[in-house]
Amino acid sequence: MTALGRVKQWNTFARTWHLFDAKWQNPIESGPTVAKYLQGLHKPIFHPMSECGDHVVVINTKDIALPGDEWRLRVYFHHTGYPGGASWTKAWELHDKDPTMVMKKAVYIAMDGTLQRRYNMLRLHLFADERVPDEIMQNVTNQIKPLRYVPPSLYDYSEEEIEKFPKIVDYPHDYVIR
Amino acid sequence: MFGRIISFSASNLKALLPASISRCTRQLHITAPVAVKQIIETRKDKQLIIEGVYMNSPREETLLRHNEDSDACAVCRLNVEIKHTDVLILSQFIRKDGCMLPRRITGLCRLQQRRIGNMVAMANKAGLMTSLLPRARERDPYKRRKEHLKFKVYYDESTIKPPKDPFAPRKLVPKDNWF
Ligand SMILES: [Zn+2]
Repeated sequence: MTALGRVKQWNTFARTWHLFDAKWQNPIESGPTVAKYLQGLHKPIFHPMSECGDHVVVINTKDIALPGDEWRLRVYFHHTGYPGGASWTKAWELHDKDPTMVMKKAVYIAMDGTLQRRYNMLRLHLFADERVPDEIMQNVTNQIKPLRYVPPSLYDYSEEEIEKFPKIVDYPHDYVIR
Repeated sequence: MFGRIISFSASNLKALLPASISRCTRQLHITAPVAVKQIIETRKDKQLIIEGVYMNSPREETLLRHNEDSDACAVCRLNVEIKHTDVLILSQFIRKDGCMLPRRITGLCRLQQRRIGNMVAMANKAGLMTSLLPRARERDPYKRRKEHLKFKVYYDESTIKPPKDPFAPRKLVPKDNWF
């Protein structure tokens, strides 16, 4: 093997680190996207027998968003194995206890239940906020594009920006502004 | 009733046409630019003077130009898909305290009034726009909430139901025929 070929081989099979910002993202939608990178499905060399998955660092998992009433409606089931050991936890309760768990389960569910799944999950690094240890952050070389638009709040704009934005209706005559 | 909403001059025949008068949801400002009122309270010893002063509309300069012949309401004639995250548009339809303006003031058609009203509620629930008051800017809308309400939500605008058509023909319900 030539020296160039050897370097090519290293580069091809080296694990890449990806960053995913979960702010205002639906975990159920973004789970399959993150799982794709964990399994290595985005690579042209992918083969189920060759382990070529990447690392994914997910930040801001406490700021994930669910549509409509889903914080109340989505339920996570657990059974201890003993009689009467079944429990149903609502999504908001689970998110209250551990702000990374809803995202973790969404990625776990998105992958097929093969023997490889547990090893793929080890390459997923979840963080509730933006504080990531340096030894992890220095590996990151790519950012996964967020699936959902992050909506700015009205209070992110200055009062001047709000005033200068084109108005589509005017007040009627004699209207008392309050 | 119409005099309050529509101000027309004799020189403009269009305003005198019955078709445009019956369309009371649109405001035709033909004679003078829109003047809004400001209530000023002054106190002198034992006297309290309350006066209404006319002033130019604060939206005079930034108002979008449009075709005067158009029959459509302000949102329909924009022909833009508005979402509940467009807080800069939605904030034009609320009072300072965050209440939705009624249809006689916004001048929208029934459908758009319903849609905008629902989207204002959605933006409120998503914590993007609670009110226009300056003290609202300082506090985090999610901090005061409990249980499931303290986490971020988004909404689908296609779930907004259109209002019932009051002029739709009534459905004839056949009487139960027992025999
Ligand atoms: Zn309309």
